[in-house]
Amino acid sequence: MPSTTDASNQFADLIKRREVVVCVGSGGVGKTTTSAVIALHAALEGRKALVLTIDPAKRLANSLGVDALDNEATRIPLERFEEVGLHPEGELWAMMLDMKQSFDHLVDRHAPDEKSKQAILDNKLYKYFSTSLAGTQEYAAAERLYEIYTSGEYDLIVLDTPPTSHALDFLEAPNRLVDAINSRAMQFLYRPTSGLLSVGTNYVIKTLSRFTGGEMLKELGAFLKAFSTLFAGFQERAGKVRELMTSDVTTFTVITAPTAGNIDEAIYFHKKLGADHARVGGFVTNRVHPAWVPRAELSRPSGQLSRELSGLSSEYDALDREAQKEFARKIRGNATDFQVLADLDQEAIAHLRDTIPRSIPIMRVPYFAHDIHSLAGLDHVRRSLFVA
Amino acid sequence: MTSLYDRRMVLFSGKGGVGKTTLASAFALSCARKGQRTLLIELNVKDRLNAIFGSVEVGPEIVEIEQNLFAVNISPRVAMEEYGLMKLRVKVVYKAVFENRVVQSFLRVVPGLNDLLMLGKSHFHAVEVDGAGKYVWDKVVIDAPATGHGIFFLKIPSVITSILESGPMFSDAKKIEEFLRDPSLTAVNLVTLPEEMPVNETLELRQTLVDELKMPIGMIVANSVYEPVFDEEESAWLLDAEVEQFEDTQTQGFVDAAKFRAQRVEMQSEYVEKLENTLSETLVRVPYYFTERFDFQTIAKIADEIDAQLGEESGSQRSAG
Repeated sequence: MPSTTDASNQFADLIKRREVVVCVGSGGVGKTTTSAVIALHAALEGRKALVLTIDPAKRLANSLGVDALDNEATRIPLERFEEVGLHPEGELWAMMLDMKQSFDHLVDRHAPDEKSKQAILDNKLYKYFSTSLAGTQEYAAAERLYEIYTSGEYDLIVLDTPPTSHALDFLEAPNRLVDAINSRAMQFLYRPTSGLLSVGTNYVIKTLSRFTGGEMLKELGAFLKAFSTLFAGFQERAGKVRELMTSDVTTFTVITAPTAGNIDEAIYFHKKLGADHARVGGFVTNRVHPAWVPRAELSRPSGQLSRELSGLSSEYDALDREAQKEFARKIRGNATDFQVLADLDQEAIAHLRDTIPRSIPIMRVPYFAHDIHSLAGLDHVRRSLFVA
Repeated sequence: MTSLYDRRMVLFSGKGGVGKTTLASAFALSCARKGQRTLLIELNVKDRLNAIFGSVEVGPEIVEIEQNLFAVNISPRVAMEEYGLMKLRVKVVYKAVFENRVVQSFLRVVPGLNDLLMLGKSHFHAVEVDGAGKYVWDKVVIDAPATGHGIFFLKIPSVITSILESGPMFSDAKKIEEFLRDPSLTAVNLVTLPEEMPVNETLELRQTLVDELKMPIGMIVANSVYEPVFDEEESAWLLDAEVEQFEDTQTQGFVDAAKFRAQRVEMQSEYVEKLENTLSETLVRVPYYFTERFDFQTIAKIADEIDAQLGEESGSQRSAG
């Protein structure tokens, strides 16, 4: 197995040569933190880097030392870096994608005229569903990424994708939206009263309305009709977004945790991305339990260990032999507990190593005793990710 | 207050990766062991119950995975067919309408439809009665989606009742909405880890559920709580230990592992305290299990843990009242 340092160097080298990094992974594996760390690394290397997150939690903002993030990019002030002894040659920017605003923005750009635009924005269903229509969040994120990329303002953009099991939807979403709401399917609803409909179609609509009621069908019809005016624009842009996502300026990074379930999901992401012609440049495994004490040492007798522990504190040294041994047994029991976890993690990572191509590096970030919620914390992770 | 064991529909939500499936499984097992005929529901996910219970893969057909414990992984497509057939009664008509290509491509893009179908089917099981008018299930336990999607999922009926004024969809949604809001029938349990992010997200989720969705909260579960191995004095020695205090690297390793434990315990207890001080609901602590993967043995231990802690709570409430 190549050493951790090799993997880190390979990954650092890759990031250096890419302009877009897309972080994917399931929820709760540290995706947002890792995204910020990659952007921080690039900024320290002298690039102008942007981390684009969809995580509405305030933690990223707090970690970066700013009060809040919003739909416009915020530059992390130099003082924040200096406070923790960092001197970036580049710039670090962060933006939190507001889904509703982004989607409104999309409507704004793609609606053919003012009237169509208002029809969409005023639609009752739109208000509830603009951000949850299958794949639209992901689509909005991808389109925003594309927009920022083409502006040429940043040397590197890191995208933190939505924390769902549909993390890949933004690759598929544009096509699916376009395919699904094709004009044939649409006509069927938004012109239910036109004389053009066949007897069969009328029957279908009647049957459907037994489920939904006529009012719902009418609302849906209006919603889909309004939406359909956007599709010509979507279709054109979707192709370009896909092109960017699969080009060599972009690399995907799969973020995972070393539990068997998470590793399985990471493998699944890799497979799906491959099928979509997207390139995975690395896997980041967060929260890996360090192997503190080699298995062979865990049988160390409590008498011996208790003597070796002398000097831990003056109170410990003052204990009688039995009490010291008792403490040593606890110390040993605890190390044994953690060794089990370290072994399980190694096993899961070895499985990942065996399953994905040798050419893709796997980075390990240890499980830290404290949560990461400061710039200093991010830098700590950075050092284990890139300078291992 | 109705005990959690007496409600018909019990949901589990929380941030991704905090152990919702584990807790839903353990609670369902606990119900089944009390003799309640229990249905454990996954919502169109890659099945994880087969690994936990050592059962067959759980799909859209209900299967028995333990005594009194049944499971299903609801597929929106199958749910739609079942629902359609229930209303239309004739398979040919269903096929003609719903399997029509145009209708299919239309249904794929109807916003929220999949969530509505899954919630609708879950509710159907919660109120399902047999020929004699007796409930088919004593308990329906749902492994609900993580925070963001979870809120959207539970909100669907209210969205429909606010858009529509009448019609069959309106009345179905209304029924589900009322059921979800009834504290004698439903409870949403929130699972969290005693760490900064998950705790904050849990507090926000709870607020939204109570204020916007008007849903009853059951218990809050602090999952993966490290048991303190070291007492306060010992922890203090460990927390003060230096990175290179011992020449022998193995000794240092033992101390580092112990220091990590002490640091985690200290940090976790802060967040457990925060949960305790902020929330009025029962807080159940589930210990961290070092020794195994999440198999049946672990789930059974967690089931006992929940049972003991919920029992304690209702006991103390009774004596207080």
